[in-house]
Amino acid sequence: MSERFAKDLDEIDDLEDLFEHAPCGYVSAGVDGRIIKVNATFAGWLRLDKADLIGRRFQDLLNIVGKIYYETHFAPLLRMQGFFHEVALDLVGADGTKLPVLVNAVERRDEAGNMRFTRITIFNASDRRQYERDLLEARRAAETANANLLELNRTLEDRVAEAVEARVRSEEALHQAQKMEAIGQLTGGIAHDFNNMLAIILSALNLLERRLAKGEDVAPLLAAARESAHRAASLVQRLLAFSRRQPLAPEPLCPNDMVRDMSELLRHTLGEAVSLEAVLAGGLWHVHADRNLLENAIVNLAVNARDAMPAGGRLTIETANCHLDDAYAAEHAIKAGQYVMVAVTDTGTGMTEETMQKAFDPFFTTKEVGKGTGLGLSQVFGFVKQSNGHIKIYSELGHGTTIKLYLPRFYGTASAPAPKASSDVTLPSGREVILLVDDDERMLSLTASMLRDLGYGVVETARGAEALDKLQAHPEIELLFTDVVMPQMNGPELAKEALRRRPGLRVLFTSGYTRNAAVHNGILNPAMNLLQKPATVEQLARKVRAALDDELDPHRHR
Amino acid sequence: MNARQRNNVNVIGAGSKTIVFAHGFGCDQNMWRFVWPAFADGYRIVLFDHVGCGNSDLQAYDDGKYATLDGYAEDVVEICRALGVSGGVFVGHSVSAMIGVLAARRAADLFDDIVMVCPSPRYIDDAGYTGGFAEAQIHELLDFLDANHMGWSQTLAPVIMGRPDRPELAEELTNSFCSTDPEIAKKFARVTFLSDNRADLSAVTARCLVLQCSEDVIAPQCVGEYVHRQLPNSEFVLLQATGHCPNLSAPEETVAAMKAFLGGGNS
Repeated sequence: MSERFAKDLDEIDDLEDLFEHAPCGYVSAGVDGRIIKVNATFAGWLRLDKADLIGRRFQDLLNIVGKIYYETHFAPLLRMQGFFHEVALDLVGADGTKLPVLVNAVERRDEAGNMRFTRITIFNASDRRQYERDLLEARRAAETANANLLELNRTLEDRVAEAVEARVRSEEALHQAQKMEAIGQLTGGIAHDFNNMLAIILSALNLLERRLAKGEDVAPLLAAARESAHRAASLVQRLLAFSRRQPLAPEPLCPNDMVRDMSELLRHTLGEAVSLEAVLAGGLWHVHADRNLLENAIVNLAVNARDAMPAGGRLTIETANCHLDDAYAAEHAIKAGQYVMVAVTDTGTGMTEETMQKAFDPFFTTKEVGKGTGLGLSQVFGFVKQSNGHIKIYSELGHGTTIKLYLPRFYGTASAPAPKASSDVTLPSGREVILLVDDDERMLSLTASMLRDLGYGVVETARGAEALDKLQAHPEIELLFTDVVMPQMNGPELAKEALRRRPGLRVLFTSGYTRNAAVHNGILNPAMNLLQKPATVEQLARKVRAALDDELDPHRHR
Repeated sequence: MNARQRNNVNVIGAGSKTIVFAHGFGCDQNMWRFVWPAFADGYRIVLFDHVGCGNSDLQAYDDGKYATLDGYAEDVVEICRALGVSGGVFVGHSVSAMIGVLAARRAADLFDDIVMVCPSPRYIDDAGYTGGFAEAQIHELLDFLDANHMGWSQTLAPVIMGRPDRPELAEELTNSFCSTDPEIAKKFARVTFLSDNRADLSAVTARCLVLQCSEDVIAPQCVGEYVHRQLPNSEFVLLQATGHCPNLSAPEETVAAMKAFLGGGNS
């Protein structure tokens, strides 16, 4: 054997080895489609001997799907274009196992164009098929997610708006219910005090009658009656203000002012057995919170404190500036920094550990059935959290409880508080002529004399129709000052007709209803001027002057 | 859109008798490229693509209409009416053999002769009937199509997206035959392999030729024989050709059998 021949043999062996054991399957099919040659790799995949495969057709080795598609699509394609590429098919082995493969096929022709054989190359595609499945699954998931997202986006705004509105509605309802509960708690004490004030007024009037008859000095009696009446009026105003339904609106507030303003209301509520002490820090910072809710919170805490002291005791409301450091803030999941503290302390029964744990839970109450809803503290808690504040209970059984509210310091400038009315100040007055209308004759003459004292000319009448005649007869009238609720022609109707006849006429309404009630009942346009009854001379003087000076944009009711 | 545009109809020659070639499931009118030239001298040749295949108008595909083979038969009738076909020859491959039967039932005047290449009136076995497939096998087919493996769509999609990594492949595929919309192909497969038109065979009045291949896994010999038995007026020819597409793999044998059936008068 020559060296050259041996070398050729080696090369042939090498090529033979490459053919047999290449990482892909090789199949050659004759003109009739039957297999004439196959490599070991391919036979191995099918768990068959090479000899078993000779004479069979490639499509016979496929699963049913492959058979159908091979016959209907890929065999025609091969016949017409001479090849096909990367067709995904499943082979079925001798033991029934499926092998996903990618198949390429190409026809080999001689120079005359006659077909010699078909070369089929097969790649194991198990991994690739898995990737494809994963990819398709991921694409389907992405498409679904995208569709959901689009749908979500389409409806999100509506749904958010709806949810927010529902939430706001239920919160408002809850706040109002809570306020009503507090009112219920308050009125018992207040009715008693109100009665006392009326008693003072009545007895003063009795004495007055007798002393006047005797010609004695009545000034101290008048003063006592006036003061008592003022206190009664202010008490009613506070109750009305407190019970008012109005939207939540945070504003810069000085807690000291609030506690001071509320202390009279609270004193009545707490009763004589409980003494109230306010320890208000100097230079107290402002907070940014809803006034109603903060008042509500303080009333709630005070009422709870009172109920914790059935035998009486001392209730202390304390304010202070304080700094919550990083460690404390982190522990309680709040922001470190400057806070204003309002603490309510009682000398009552105190709370057990268990009660303290549940104190802020809605509907948790230690009170008897019918005495409390259990919503008080949970609402205080909600308010404090909404205001980005913090609330803390300290309690010792048998000694008392302190509840501290921490509200974040407000750094802006608070709007200047309305100047306090003082009797020393000269009252605004004038010389204009006012048309005064009120169906209550006593109120009519009282208001008329107050206006005359202030220097105004007054034309008075108890009926709307008559008022229009007087307006006609007195061109010098510059202001219509009328009661809102009257028989036959009410205030706004009168004003409308009066303005029709005298455009430019100033209008001021007065009513025993609160502004909100009047607006709610549709009697009054929110833009209209209203002087609430009962009014002090001072309030009357300011309102009338302002109406005449057009400061209040008096009749924008059209 | 009229039927001729919708079904990409091609008319060749001007013979007095018309011969309409209908492709089956898979492929398009290219299926007849080795057969129709043999008839061009004596016949007017009509070639078309079923909606969803080849260069038909894909927009015309309607899920409801094409949910049964009747929808496809309706198109055949419309095409023939548009071309004034009467007393012609219908040549249907595979599922189109049954589409031809349905068209003839709708309009008996259209065809005097029907050539059925590898026909099957029902693919799934039934009591007393061998269709060649168990029901589970057909569901395996449909499930596989639903899985949407990329091997199909890349090879068969009519519009091939560019593949920057292998531009030569995109070129080859763009020129590929047997193009089909993968989504429509899935639905066509469902309609085809779930169809049962056995009851329609006995009503065919036209003279029929059943061309049966050897070793046809899709339409086995017993199915061809069944069709032959049920048709009132038919001839049966068993071809030497194997597989399901003798029109491609053995066009000469196919043409010869057809000419023998149709007689020498027109060729």
